[in-house]
Amino acid sequence: MQNTTKKEELATQSTDAAQRFVTLKEKLNIEDYNFEHFSTKHLLSDARATIEKRGIQPGEMAPDFELRRADGGTLRLSELRGRPVLLHFGSFT
Amino acid sequence: MDVVIRQAHPGADVPAYHSFDQKMGDAERYRREEGIAWPVLVDDVEGTTHQVYGGLADPTYLIDIAGRVAFYNMWTHAPTLHEALEELSQQDWRGEVKGGVHQTPHLLSSMTDGWKGLRRGWPRSFIELETSAPGMASGPWLGYQLRPLLAPLTLRSKPLPPSAKLGLAAGAAALLFLGAWSLRSRPGTDSVKERANRF
Repeated sequence: MQNTTKKEELATQSTDAAQRFVTLKEKLNIEDYNFEHFSTKHLLSDARATIEKRGIQPGEMAPDFELRRADGGTLRLSELRGRPVLLHFGSFT
Repeated sequence: MDVVIRQAHPGADVPAYHSFDQKMGDAERYRREEGIAWPVLVDDVEGTTHQVYGGLADPTYLIDIAGRVAFYNMWTHAPTLHEALEELSQQDWRGEVKGGVHQTPHLLSSMTDGWKGLRRGWPRSFIELETSAPGMASGPWLGYQLRPLLAPLTLRSKPLPPSAKLGLAAGAAALLFLGAWSLRSRPGTDSVKERANRF
């Protein structure tokens, strides 16, 4: 039953990252997202997200996005369809 | 590809982002300083893409040729991704691999290479991380000093062969045994059992 509900939920979710962001449950506002001081609460938040497996689940369509490249131009994820993609998120610090 | 997210450990020279241009500047520096050959993308200041993809500090997704998530490595670990890629190649680059999600944080690579990011925000980044979790900042500093020694083990891109894993396990067991033996046979120190027998 729970699996069916999860599948129905996934089916209604947008495959576009910007549209999906609007309805995201665990969303931080811009000030909390870009914190000025690292603290224990950020470690705990990462631990909770890990335990909850927060993110895009296996088998789901990877939400599409178009982002600026550091070396110029833009890149849209869906342009890479037909090729396997490694998508890593990381910080400068 | 890489997506540059928020400042994880801000400092005086690398403050939290207030504009896209500031984030783009860091992404250009990151690409140049680390010599990255693949695309480096820059998320918006709100972290739209990052937050939709779970908002974790260091995750990697393997996406199959149909655009679906094949594997979610919640804390990036190169040897695990290597195995996932091999498995995906064996199923024509489609479908889920390695159970779909890997949640384990592998700290060894962060302890050897994490200093590269953390030092950009020195000293604030160091103090804030060390006071939040003792050892999480001093560990990477020490690991970075020992990098030439540790890198072959901690920064490897491929899983260790079974013989090397067996060797490491045997080495650890031998160390434990030697430690226990030296405590037991130290002159003047009686074992707990001997002491208990006197009563």
